[in-house]
Amino acid sequence: MPDLQALVTDFVLKLKRRKIEGSQATAKQTAELLRQVVSQQRMPYTNQASVLIDAVRAVGEQLIAANPIGELSNSYLFLAVGNIVRRVLHIIREENLSSTTAAMEGLGLTAGSDDDEGEHEDRPGLSAAAVAAAARSTLRAPSLQTLLEDIPESAVAPHPSSSGGDSEGKSKSADRGSRSKKLKHDVIEAINELIQDIDTCHELISEQAVEHIHQNEVILTLGRSRTVKEFLCAAKEKKRTFRVFVAEGAPRYQGHVLAKELVGKGIQTTVITDSAVFAMISRVNMVIVGAHAIMANGGVIAPVGINMVALAAQRHAVPFVVVAGSHKLCPLYPHNPEVLLNEFRCPSDLLDFGEFSDCMDYGSLGGSPLLHVVNPAFDYVQPKLVSLFITDTGGHNPSYVYRLIADYYSADDLVVQQNST
Amino acid sequence: MRHVTRKERREIRFFRCGGATSRPNADAPTSSPDSIMEPNPKPNHGISAYYQTRAEHHAIISGDWLSQAQAAAAAGHPPEEPPASAAASKPFSVIDEFNHWRRKPDLAEAVAAIMALVAGIRSSDATTMMELEIELKKASDALKSWDTTSISLSAGCDLFMRYVTRTSALEYDDFHAAKLRLIERGEKFGEISLKARRTIAMLGQDFIFDGCTILVHGFSRVVLEVLKLAASNRKLFRVFCTEGRPDKTGLRLSKELATLGIPVKLLIDSAVAYAMDEVDMVLVGADGVVESGGVINMMGTYQTALVAHSMNKPVYVAAESYKFARLYPLDQKDLEPALRLIEFGVPIPAGVEIEKSARDYTPPQYLTLLFTDLGVLTPSVVSDELIQLYL
Repeated sequence: MPDLQALVTDFVLKLKRRKIEGSQATAKQTAELLRQVVSQQRMPYTNQASVLIDAVRAVGEQLIAANPIGELSNSYLFLAVGNIVRRVLHIIREENLSSTTAAMEGLGLTAGSDDDEGEHEDRPGLSAAAVAAAARSTLRAPSLQTLLEDIPESAVAPHPSSSGGDSEGKSKSADRGSRSKKLKHDVIEAINELIQDIDTCHELISEQAVEHIHQNEVILTLGRSRTVKEFLCAAKEKKRTFRVFVAEGAPRYQGHVLAKELVGKGIQTTVITDSAVFAMISRVNMVIVGAHAIMANGGVIAPVGINMVALAAQRHAVPFVVVAGSHKLCPLYPHNPEVLLNEFRCPSDLLDFGEFSDCMDYGSLGGSPLLHVVNPAFDYVQPKLVSLFITDTGGHNPSYVYRLIADYYSADDLVVQQNST
Repeated sequence: MRHVTRKERREIRFFRCGGATSRPNADAPTSSPDSIMEPNPKPNHGISAYYQTRAEHHAIISGDWLSQAQAAAAAGHPPEEPPASAAASKPFSVIDEFNHWRRKPDLAEAVAAIMALVAGIRSSDATTMMELEIELKKASDALKSWDTTSISLSAGCDLFMRYVTRTSALEYDDFHAAKLRLIERGEKFGEISLKARRTIAMLGQDFIFDGCTILVHGFSRVVLEVLKLAASNRKLFRVFCTEGRPDKTGLRLSKELATLGIPVKLLIDSAVAYAMDEVDMVLVGADGVVESGGVINMMGTYQTALVAHSMNKPVYVAAESYKFARLYPLDQKDLEPALRLIEFGVPIPAGVEIEKSARDYTPPQYLTLLFTDLGVLTPSVVSDELIQLYL
C-alpha cells in the first residue's frame, strides 16, 4: 500500500530527526500508525489473524530496522516503538483467540477453527470445552500446565463430525464472515484502548503519588522526567508538604528546568550537582526517578547518572523508586544488542572545542589525538537496586516485572526482526 | 536384572579404585527381595540411586556394556529383556520399567519416570478414569518411595499425575480414547524433553558473547547443549570446568567440549575463587528447581554461586521446566539426604567421618536468571508457575 508506506517512511524520518519528543509521544504515534495499518488491511475469509499479524510485523520490522544498532542518540525511542509493535501483535492474538473460543462455544459443535492450514488432529469425542481449553493454552506463554499438551501452530482444528456435511460447512463460513469483520473491529478497539492508556499514563501514575509521598519528606531526583514532575505536582496538590533535591543532571542540565517548574508550583526545591548526591543522600527519605525503559529482568535503562544515584541510595538504605508508564516496559533482556550498546552524544556538551582545539586536533599528531571526550547517554541500573516500580497499573516489585510482560506481550513476538544474515 | 545391578556396582568401584577395594563392603546390598512382586531390591541405605545412575552414566564402563559383557561371558544366560515385553512371566512392575528407561544415558530422569507411568497405564485394566488414576497414584508413589532422593523423578511423576487429572476433567466421552491420548502424550514427553533442551539452548546461547569466559560446574546435558549451540553459531568463548569430585564430571565435560573445539581449562574444585576473577558468567544445570527459585544441584554449586555473587558475576541455571518441584528447603539439611560414595584413594582411619552428601541447595538470591523451556525466568517466577499448576 503506497499510502501506508509513505506514512511509515514519514514516521521513521521524524524519529531519526528527533522531531518527536519523548517516549510517550513516540508510543502514541506508533500505535496510531499501526491502527492505520490494521484498518487498511484487506481481510481474507480465513486465516485472518495471521494476515494481520504479518502486516503489523512487516511494518514493525521496518520501524525497528530504521535504528541501526547504537547509532542514534534517541535509540530508546526505538525501544518504545518495538514495545508498541509487540503490544499490538499480542492484542491481535488475544482478540483472535477470544473470538474463536466464543464462536466455538456458541456453535456447541466440535468444529470450527480459524486456521484450516494448521495441524489437524483427529480427536473423536472431544468436547467443545476441551478444544477451547486447548486453544486458550496456545496463547498463554508456555507454562508447566501446558507442558504435556499438544501445542500445534495455531488453534486446534479437529475435523468436523462426518454427519455435518454441507449445512454445517455453510453455517461455519457464514459465521466466519461475520467474525472477520468483528476481528478487525475488536483489534482496532483494543488499539484505541492502548492509545488511551498511553495518553493517560501520567494521570494514573500521579494518582498514586499521595500513597508514597508523606508529610515533611525529602525527595531526591536527577535530571528532568516529565513523569516525575507530574508525580510531585500531584502530591503537592493534595496538600503534602515536602522538599525536593534536584541533581542537575550534567551535561544537559535538565535538572535546572525541573527546579524552575517545581518552584512555579510552590514546592521547596534545592539544586545540587551530581557529585553532591552521595553527600546529600543521607538526608533524603526517598529517591524518585524516571526511566527510558524497563527491561524484562527488572533492570532499568535511564539517563546517565541514575546508576550512581541508585548505588548511593542502596548504600544508605534509601528507597529507590522508578516511575514509568507501561509502554516503557520492554520484553527484552539487557544482553540483547538492541538494548546493550550505549549511545554517545556530542562531546561539545562537555568541552568547548575552541579551548581544546589543539588537544583534539586530528591533523597534527598523526591522526590520533591524546584527548578523548566521551559523553554516554544512558545508564543501566540493576534490578536489585530498585525498590519499587510505579506504573499506570500500580506499584510493583522488580521481581514482578515478568508477570506484566506475560500480560502484555506474547512469547512469539519477541523477535520481530527476521534474521537476514 | 538384580544380579546385574549388584555386580555392576562392585565392578565400577573396582575399576575406579584401581583394583583394590580397600574398604569393607559398607554398601553390600542389604535387602534381598522376598517375593516376585518386588524383583528390584531397594537401593542401599546411604547410597542414592539417582546419583548412582549418574555415576553409571559417567563411568567409562556403562551398565549396558557390562551386562552385555556378562551375558556374553556366561553363555546360555538369557539376554536382558525389557520388562515391558515380558507378558506373562512376571506382573508389571513400574520400578522395573523405570530402571529400564533410566539406564539410557541421554534420557532425563523425569522422562524415564513418565515413560514408566505410561507403561503402567498401558498395562492396566482399569475401566474408568477414577480407577486409572488410583492405579497411577499407586505406581507413582512406588516410584517415589523407591528413590526418595531424586527430585526430578518426583517432579516428573507429579506433573504427569496433574496432567492426567486435568485431562480426565475435560470430559472425554470415551474412556479408551482418553487412555490412548494419555499414552500418546506420555510417550511424546520424551520428545518434549529433547525439544526443551533445544529451546533452552537457543535462549541460553544468546547470553554468551564473543570473548567471554564461562565457568561450568557439574555435567548437565542441558548445559552441554547450550555450549554446543553457541559453538556452532561461531561464538568465541572459553570454558572453565571444575573437576567435580567425586564424579569427575569435569573430565567428562572437558572431553566433550574438546571434541567441539571449545577451549577448556580444568580447575580443581578449590580453585573456583582463584579463577573467578577472569570468569564472565557461571553456567550450571540443576537436579531440581525448588519453589523459592533456588536450585538443587551437584555438591559445589552453592560454593561457586557464593563466590560468583561476591564478585558480582552472573550465575545462570539451565533447567527444563519439569524439574520444578514443590519443595521449599530452608537450609542445606532440609533436603532428603542423597549420599554418594567418595573414594579418597587411601584407607581412611576408623574414627573419621566423611561428608557423603552428593548435592547442595543454592538459595535464589545467588542466582541471576534461569533458562528454561518456558523462557528466561527470574527465580521469582518459579513459584508462580508451580502455583498455577498445583493450585
